[in-house]
Amino acid sequence: MTVDFLIDLFSKFIDIPIVAFLLAVTIAGIPLFVLMALNATIAVYVERKVSAFMMDRIGPMGQGPGLHAGKWGVLQTIADALKLLIKEDTVPASADKLLFKMAPFIIFIGAFLGIAALPFSSVLQVVDFNVGVFYIIAVASVGVIGIVMAGWASNNKWSLYGAMRSAAQIISYEIPAGLSIIVPIMMAGTMNLQSLIEFQTGSVWGILPNWIIFNNPFSFLAFFIFFISAVAETNRTPFDIPEAESELVAGWMTEYSGFRWAVFFLSEYANMFVVSGLAATAFLGGWQSPIPGFFNSPLWGLFWFLGKIIFLIFVMMWFRWTFPRLRVDQLMHVCWKVFIPIAMLNIFGVGIWKLIIG
Amino acid sequence: MSRYFTNIYDTVNTLWTGMRITFRHMMNIRRDNVTLQYPEERWPRPERNIGFNHEDYNVIRSRLHVDIDDCIGCYRCERACPVDCIKIDTIKSDRGEDIPTVKHTGVTSNGTKKGFVVSRFTIDMSECCYCNLCTYPCPEECIFMVGGPNSSKHPIDYEFSEVDRKDLIYEFAKKLTPKQRENLTKTDEKAEA
Repeated sequence: MTVDFLIDLFSKFIDIPIVAFLLAVTIAGIPLFVLMALNATIAVYVERKVSAFMMDRIGPMGQGPGLHAGKWGVLQTIADALKLLIKEDTVPASADKLLFKMAPFIIFIGAFLGIAALPFSSVLQVVDFNVGVFYIIAVASVGVIGIVMAGWASNNKWSLYGAMRSAAQIISYEIPAGLSIIVPIMMAGTMNLQSLIEFQTGSVWGILPNWIIFNNPFSFLAFFIFFISAVAETNRTPFDIPEAESELVAGWMTEYSGFRWAVFFLSEYANMFVVSGLAATAFLGGWQSPIPGFFNSPLWGLFWFLGKIIFLIFVMMWFRWTFPRLRVDQLMHVCWKVFIPIAMLNIFGVGIWKLIIG
Repeated sequence: MSRYFTNIYDTVNTLWTGMRITFRHMMNIRRDNVTLQYPEERWPRPERNIGFNHEDYNVIRSRLHVDIDDCIGCYRCERACPVDCIKIDTIKSDRGEDIPTVKHTGVTSNGTKKGFVVSRFTIDMSECCYCNLCTYPCPEECIFMVGGPNSSKHPIDYEFSEVDRKDLIYEFAKKLTPKQRENLTKTDEKAEA
């Protein structure tokens, strides 16, 4: 069900096209927002638990007398969100007020636009672009404008350092991410996300699903380069030098608190969702079932797609709580001297592979 | 050039090793968990020997307890207390007679006939210095040290915290309404007269 379908539906009842359009966009947008909020709520809880388990702790439990956060602390995130909502809304006196207040929205928009293009199922997608992959890669970069804005407007050395680092990092890592996402595009010959998934129907060697990651060694490598670059683009540990708690207080969000900070957090998790969704679509077969030929109805498709995203988000958390942060020069080294050459070789290799094997 | 590829191999290898370790810790959390959920779980206090036979005296000096039905109101523990945290009031009654209205039993479990109704027996545990001196003079052995509130779950238990310091003053005597107290006092005066 795309937004076009909704526009057509409403146009039948409402004569004014702009009203039908706005109505359709609102109705399509609200579930996405709910999904974003739900994703952040659950992911924060899971992240706390995963981090705790990896450190031999047990994380939020919320037992004991008085106010408590439910069994196993499941209500912890809701308590945190409530706390953020009732916090004082502070704006530094010397900040650039307009940019300071605008930055969270820009970052939020960047994340939100990305979710809109994700193919949740064979029939469930808000907007089915012909250039879906390109679109997601493009709107994912909107966030960096918001980050630089936030860093600049805060009028704080830590924020500015964080923003500059973030700009350098995200712009650098977009190159390997873009180069390695070319591999599935070359193989499928399309940028449309649904066609890309349909290309991955069937199975290879009878057992493995015909996902692009299993198709040839180059695409296998490309998946890892893309995924690691995606982690870097979402500013998560081990690539969290823009935040870098031990060096820069909180990086570009040092001056933010309360609801604005919550929006940053929401966007961070939404970004994780988007890049995981793109990785799942381009390399892991999107809504295709892992058992070729079974469980392929649209509803199962939604389940598989969300399952793959959840798995990839878990891997991101796994990275975060295992690896120490990279230094700035190491970060650039990994990107320019390792990922980009390998990604370029990948493109070359997959071209040869396509010529010879098909 | 070979250094370059060796570096990449080493990186992937070591990162994978690290990820395996954290994953193993995550999976074995039930075994490896180090956090105690404090109010529900506690570290047991180590046993110690202070020179008494553990069976005879409860030397786990967690808090004092009084079996008020056995108390004859002799004030010996109050006098023994070095910090005066025990406060006792008594009202004279007929020796060895039950008074059902205030749930007073006339005879202790040792067979001693009681001459007093204990109308107040408070121990201020915030003042108590855990010296155990009050337990020795008690002729009925009705005041003794016991474990804390969690002693049913853990054999050795120690914490008993309260939100208000006043809640640390433990009242062991049976509650008397003012009227009952008045009645008892009247009979007391009558007996003296």
